[in-house]
Amino acid sequence: MPTLEIDSLAKSYGTVRALDGVSFDVNSGELFGFVGSNGAGKTTTMRIILGVLRGDFGEVRWDGAPVDLDVRKRIGYMPEERGLYPRMKVGEQLVYLARLHGLDAGAAHAAMEHWTEVLGVAERRGDEVEKLSLGNQQRVQLASALVHQPDILVLDEPFSGLDPVAVAVMSDVLRTQADRGVPVIFSSHQLELVERLCDRVGIVKAGRLVASGTIDELRATDQLQWHLTGTMPETWTPDAPGATLTPQGPGVWRVEAESTDAAQAVVASALHHGVVSEFTQVRPTLTDLFQGVVSEEEVAA
Amino acid sequence: MIALIAKREFRTRALSKANLITSAIMVVLVLGGALIAKPFLADDGEPAVVNVDSAIAGDLVPYLEATAQAQDAHVVFESVDAPDTVDVDQDGALGEDIAGLITGPLDAPRLYLAGGDDALTSVVQSATQAAALDSAVEDLGGDAAAVSASLANSVPAVTIVGETNEFNAGQFFSGMVVVILLFFVLIQSASVIMMGVVEEKSSRVVEILLATVKPATLLGGKVLGVGMYSLLQAATMFLPVVFAAWYLDLFGTLDVEVGTLVANFAVWFVLGFALFTILFGGLAALVSRQEDIGAITTPMMFLMMAPLYLAIYLVPNNPDSTISMVLTQVPFFAPFMVPMRSAFGAISTGEVILAVALCVVTIPVLTWIAGRVYAGAVLNTGGRMKLAEAFKRG
Ligand SMILES: Nc1ncnc2c1ncn2[C@@H]1O[C@H](COP(=O)(O)OP(=O)(O)O)[C@@H](O)[C@H]1O
Ligand SMILES: [Mg+2]
Repeated sequence: MPTLEIDSLAKSYGTVRALDGVSFDVNSGELFGFVGSNGAGKTTTMRIILGVLRGDFGEVRWDGAPVDLDVRKRIGYMPEERGLYPRMKVGEQLVYLARLHGLDAGAAHAAMEHWTEVLGVAERRGDEVEKLSLGNQQRVQLASALVHQPDILVLDEPFSGLDPVAVAVMSDVLRTQADRGVPVIFSSHQLELVERLCDRVGIVKAGRLVASGTIDELRATDQLQWHLTGTMPETWTPDAPGATLTPQGPGVWRVEAESTDAAQAVVASALHHGVVSEFTQVRPTLTDLFQGVVSEEEVAA
Repeated sequence: MIALIAKREFRTRALSKANLITSAIMVVLVLGGALIAKPFLADDGEPAVVNVDSAIAGDLVPYLEATAQAQDAHVVFESVDAPDTVDVDQDGALGEDIAGLITGPLDAPRLYLAGGDDALTSVVQSATQAAALDSAVEDLGGDAAAVSASLANSVPAVTIVGETNEFNAGQFFSGMVVVILLFFVLIQSASVIMMGVVEEKSSRVVEILLATVKPATLLGGKVLGVGMYSLLQAATMFLPVVFAAWYLDLFGTLDVEVGTLVANFAVWFVLGFALFTILFGGLAALVSRQEDIGAITTPMMFLMMAPLYLAIYLVPNNPDSTISMVLTQVPFFAPFMVPMRSAFGAISTGEVILAVALCVVTIPVLTWIAGRVYAGAVLNTGGRMKLAEAFKRG
């Protein structure tokens, strides 16, 4: 199974260091979510993968070999700044783009019909793109990334500006493509969606990849947390080394502990001082992880 | 790949409603104009009929015909029995479609004209003088034919000393047609290319295009497609004009060598097209919005108008001056200088070959520079980019 390898990419715009050694891999059939604050370097990374931007350093490889124009023709790309010929008809435009990617006329036409059907813009084939609503233009944009049956998908913020129905359609398409064996990279600020959809996530900050892995792997690196509710007095402080207690309100605490044993000691002490009504482990969401990573970096800096 | 891009460019331009309408109007105007003009111009073709009184016709008509032919007047003479008097106040008294009437006596004929016609007056005057001279010569016992022949032979052999600054309208006209047509076609193609480049850039579609084709391929396809379109446009302008000129028999009148005209146009269209469109296609990538395109069109206008004006002002007065010869070898001037100078027959084959060769050598260099500028600038959004910076990035 071929892998898309992004290896030590670096890129500066004058004095701005947009990328500072970004490396990660995306396997075939894997949905990779790329998250990071504005200006973190997501778009720059994707543009370098597509070759529309030249990096200062680093390499992108597919199946072990550097990505060249022939491989790029097999990538489906949705740029952050959407763009199609505004005065060209939807159908003609998709056929043209498919042919630029190397499909013959018949295959290009069939693919155009298929994707306009799947994405719900079939009846707009004869209309000029600029006459479509923004949402429908977005669907055509996705169709343009898919119309040549790509081997790799790179989508920059594909969910931005979509209504819930379109979000569902888009998620579905991405999942289907991954199941077909295509490595899919997409960036997004909708972290719940990324958490739900992706096999693996990379968090990029100030041009560096600060965390990457499955959601569970990312969680494993974080401190364990519990949620504790009970009738213990406000003055209660348990004698439990390796655990810290933060009051969250009357009768509610957050427990952070290095180990499960330390947490159990807290519970034992709590049972002495009152009635415990709830003690549950809190699984941090991607949002929590993201915030943790970002603030951690800020402290370090 | 490049063919695909060229085809799209060609189709979008050529099949646009605006283009179809203007082309149709052009063709209809030119051809319709020719059809309407033909009967009026053809009127001139029918010879004027002049009646000659039968009493003097036998003696005078040979002289009249010889003189009419010598003076290029299109007149036929017919012998009729002329009425004794002509009602000079009445229109058409000479008869339907009759231009004039000549009545006796032979040594002092009277000429009645339907409307003033200086040419006819002069023909009749010369003819009667010749007839009078001949009869006088014969009265003196001389040989009238020998006198006429020696008169005809006594024409001076003319040799012009010094520069011939004679202005030749036919040469000027044919040179002008080529350079002005070239100017319009080139300026139009360069604008179309620039608009296309900026449109792709401002609509951001260029990013998905560049993910699958090289910048040079994209620019090359554009230049090719727009080139085809411009050729078609030039043909829709040029061919009806040529056809109309042929239909109205203007080539005979103006003494223009159509073959040379077309050959000159074809060669310098291809070379000039490559030079100007590649350069401006590359430069157009520097701007990001249609509104800013003026920053590029102004230098373009200047770069095309300067050679055009110089060709029009320098060449006709002094086709082989030093400055003309130098400018002929400067690539951006050559497309205008060479056709103009060759229309005046004032350029050697060696000069033409050198000028063509210099352009042919310049084109790849220019393509490389323009391709680099294009590649460096085409993904840059926001303000106008500096030329040097784009070149460095590309
Ligand atoms: N064309 C450019 N010129 C100068 N700086 C740029 C350009 N493109 C991006 N940058 C800078 O590079 C950094 C990364 O940008 P980008 O990759 O677009 O971030 P993201 O997509 O994660 O929001 C930012 O600091 C941005 O200002
Ligand atoms: Mg971005």
